[in-house]
Amino acid sequence: MNAPALSAVIGQPVSRVDGPAKVTGTARYAAEFVPDGLAYASVVSATIPRGRIRALDTSAAEGMPGVLAVVSHRNAPKLPYLERDQRPPVDPKSGDQLRMFQDDKVLFNGQPVAVVIADSQQEADAAARCIGIAYDETEPTTTFDPGRGRPPSEETAKGGRPGAAGRGDGAAGLAEAATTVDVTYVQAREHHNAIEPHATIAQWDGDSLTLYDKSQWVQNVVVEIAHVFGIEAGKIRVISPFVGGAFGSALRTWPHVTIAAIAAKMTGRPVRVELSRRQLYHSVGFRPHTLQRVRLGAAPDGRLTAILQDAAAQVATYEEYAETTLQPAETTYSCPNVATAYRLVEMDTNSPCPMRGPGIVTGLYALEAAMDELAVALNVDPVALRLKNHADINEKTGLPWSSKALKACYETAAERFGWADRIAAPRSMRIGTDLVGYGMATAIYHADRAPAEAEVILFANGTAVVRTAASDMGPGTYTSITQIAADELGLPVEAIRFELGDSTLPMAPVHGGSITLVSVGSAVAEACAAVRQKLEALTGEGSIAERLRANGLDRLAASAKASPGEETKRYASSAFGAVFVEVRVDEGLGTLRVKRMTGAYDVGRVINPKIARSQCIGGMMGGLGMALMEAAEWDPRFGKVMNANLAEYLVPVCADTPALDVTFVPSEDTVLNPLGAKGLAEIAICGVAPAIANAVFHATGRRQRHIPIRPEDLIGT
Amino acid sequence: MIPGPFHYHRPTSVAEAVALLAAHGDDARPLAGGHSLIPMMKLRMAVPDHLVDLAAIPDLKGICEDGDRIVIGATTTQREVIGSDLLAARLPILAETARQIADPQIRTKGTFGGNVANGDPGNDMPALMQCLDAVYRLAGPDGSRTVPARDYYQGAYFTALEPGELLTAVEIPVPPAGHGYAYEKLKRKVGDYATAAAAVVLTLDGGTVATASIALTNVASTPLHAAAASALVIGTGLDAATLKAAADAAKAITDPATDGRGTAEYRREMAGVMVARALAKAMRRAKGA
Repeated sequence: MNAPALSAVIGQPVSRVDGPAKVTGTARYAAEFVPDGLAYASVVSATIPRGRIRALDTSAAEGMPGVLAVVSHRNAPKLPYLERDQRPPVDPKSGDQLRMFQDDKVLFNGQPVAVVIADSQQEADAAARCIGIAYDETEPTTTFDPGRGRPPSEETAKGGRPGAAGRGDGAAGLAEAATTVDVTYVQAREHHNAIEPHATIAQWDGDSLTLYDKSQWVQNVVVEIAHVFGIEAGKIRVISPFVGGAFGSALRTWPHVTIAAIAAKMTGRPVRVELSRRQLYHSVGFRPHTLQRVRLGAAPDGRLTAILQDAAAQVATYEEYAETTLQPAETTYSCPNVATAYRLVEMDTNSPCPMRGPGIVTGLYALEAAMDELAVALNVDPVALRLKNHADINEKTGLPWSSKALKACYETAAERFGWADRIAAPRSMRIGTDLVGYGMATAIYHADRAPAEAEVILFANGTAVVRTAASDMGPGTYTSITQIAADELGLPVEAIRFELGDSTLPMAPVHGGSITLVSVGSAVAEACAAVRQKLEALTGEGSIAERLRANGLDRLAASAKASPGEETKRYASSAFGAVFVEVRVDEGLGTLRVKRMTGAYDVGRVINPKIARSQCIGGMMGGLGMALMEAAEWDPRFGKVMNANLAEYLVPVCADTPALDVTFVPSEDTVLNPLGAKGLAEIAICGVAPAIANAVFHATGRRQRHIPIRPEDLIGT
Repeated sequence: MIPGPFHYHRPTSVAEAVALLAAHGDDARPLAGGHSLIPMMKLRMAVPDHLVDLAAIPDLKGICEDGDRIVIGATTTQREVIGSDLLAARLPILAETARQIADPQIRTKGTFGGNVANGDPGNDMPALMQCLDAVYRLAGPDGSRTVPARDYYQGAYFTALEPGELLTAVEIPVPPAGHGYAYEKLKRKVGDYATAAAAVVLTLDGGTVATASIALTNVASTPLHAAAASALVIGTGLDAATLKAAADAAKAITDPATDGRGTAEYRREMAGVMVARALAKAMRRAKGA
């Protein structure tokens, strides 16, 4: 390892190495591969929330031009759906995954019930509309009724989402408090809505299967599909060089991947399944609607005596996706008495799944909004209250932090933002006719690392290739890993090509949970060190190219595996941040604009400040959407999202974008990994929504205990 | 999404266009900017057998002054409305309104005539035309006629236009020099239709309102000319009580739907706020002129 201070490449604002390919359109996404003889699929979705298919009339569709096959439970192959030895971390911990076309049951509105394969997408879509389906409906459960909430199953609890957790005595801590708050918050169901829709192309060659897929984890797709079809993993290859955004929606292997493979098998042609925007709302998960109650107790000096946080989240009936919603209650602040209770409310819906900052961002919304309410009740500054309760260690595990610069985040962000100018009383700041509000919140997201492997090949022409089966869904992995390799090999960035997104490459963990850089980056650094060692063993001197040529070699390769070790038992690791927001409210209209946002982050060593900033401003805008716009409009009559399109499901656009100020406080975490980084993705959306909600209260004096907050919430009395 | 099959016609005169529309009746639709019709065709919500493209008819284009009136040809684009020096001098509220329609791409293709003709209650120009007491020129197989904007709209997408008729131009009486005006529009997001919007044109006599006209966008199935609210402000100095009374009178005639832009209650309330703000802005402009 070079010492960071000596690095010429790490820490530089290198522009994206894949940027030219993306802006010129040569970067190829899953749906854009065109194998010879490609056929096109159109998925037919159920239109009832629960019941059985009584009759399915495919005769008209089968006779339409270009139609190759119509597949449903009546003619689909019976698939083994073998149990995996261990569920991948991206799947729910219990329940049964949806099985494609294996029976007549309908478990939610939008479930795939048939697929049409045709010579063109238009022919497939036209035929799909001509399939007649009669259902026997059963009484569905389509309302979110927290009274029906149940604790998670044992498997889910073991997976870190227990029904009850905490320390000390929550009730006693609340009883001894001089000041308490007891508040309830609602967070709406949100959808990922990445620009690129999910798509899979399946191509069989005998008993070998190639899948071009939008995926955050190509090697898990291999194992999953091997189990679904009962075939050897070695027969499957998954290719996913570019991902047009995902935010967690491409972590697991969804049913449409299986549909593509079934369709290709039955037609003997490569088949593309590309989900429509509307289908994405019932096909690839979402952030679940969550109701939370937070009770906080504090001593007269502001020290927390109790944190009690309960959450109830919607869940599908067939699969149990649960979140780490209540973890921030245990880790964010120092408090002797913490009690959390987690409940799941079953509904006839498709299964939710992780979405940026999964669980944490939800729990943190309620906790940080409640902390603001406590600060008001105590009449103390919200930043001072947080500093007073700073968690010097991780009190959930009792372990010291491997690094923590949260105090510097508060200080730096407050100063850059101008927090000192805030007049504490609500409704006391105005510009023109607008009310002005300042709000802030803490951000926290645990930093993890997983084993990873990489291969590095040096060539006699002076270039190098780095290979590992990672993904880059947009955060800049292509670039940051290239920088690490350039640094380790002493080569310019331009001399290095990073190959990823192919399951045949060396093992890489899931591209999610902000772990890619520290996991894959560490493996790449070690592989580089290994190849350098080999190089040094060669005779001769000079550049890499010169030494290879001197030894008559056209290439020199080395591989390495890097894994976390004992440090994970001795330390807790986390990224931290502080987010400050100014909002302007036009009280006549209830309209609310975020005017500016400042975030200071402790993410360890920053490999590329330009890309890191992009990650953070993207997260800020995701948080702005969560706070003010994004919500699935659910119709309980149909068990269906009614605004399943980007015209009616509002997301922030350029015109909504405030001045965004991002800064990274000095930090390095060489305990978590030798690179000193902590991972940067989830942290950037954490804390944004509560900071905005708190600013809305400060502006208006009206506490909004739900997100999104909409104009109509802010007018009238 | 791909539209259904259709026959494409490109007439070069109004007479030819009207003949085509009359010959094909309900199976034909005139095509101007296409920014309402083509999306509907792509969704197969409209499946016309015949499209009569108006782009090659020179008589339908342009803005001119005709005595005390401004005449705007139907296929004049919103962008041309925004860029017109004549309108900037005589009827600046037109550009103010056009700038708040959709986005630059749509304003570049979308036409003034299409906006007023098709009866979409979300369109902005119809209420403004009612505010200005504009008159629509319609050409049909039996000749031409005119219909006041205040009588043209019958329901969402239902208008006084008969099958075979074509809206060819809009005549707008020019308000006196120095008039006050404002088009206030509340949108949930950039490019959206109005949550509520209000158009105001007024003149002053000394410090008091001599004439006033108020109309509302997207708070009922048609644009609304708020006659009672308009009458109420005449003779006043637009004090706070008058503004509130005018807003209340305007709110009373609204019948908005609850939709993605807000609840009916919210949208009705916002119609009142838009009226009050438009009146106040128009007053400021009249005084400043």
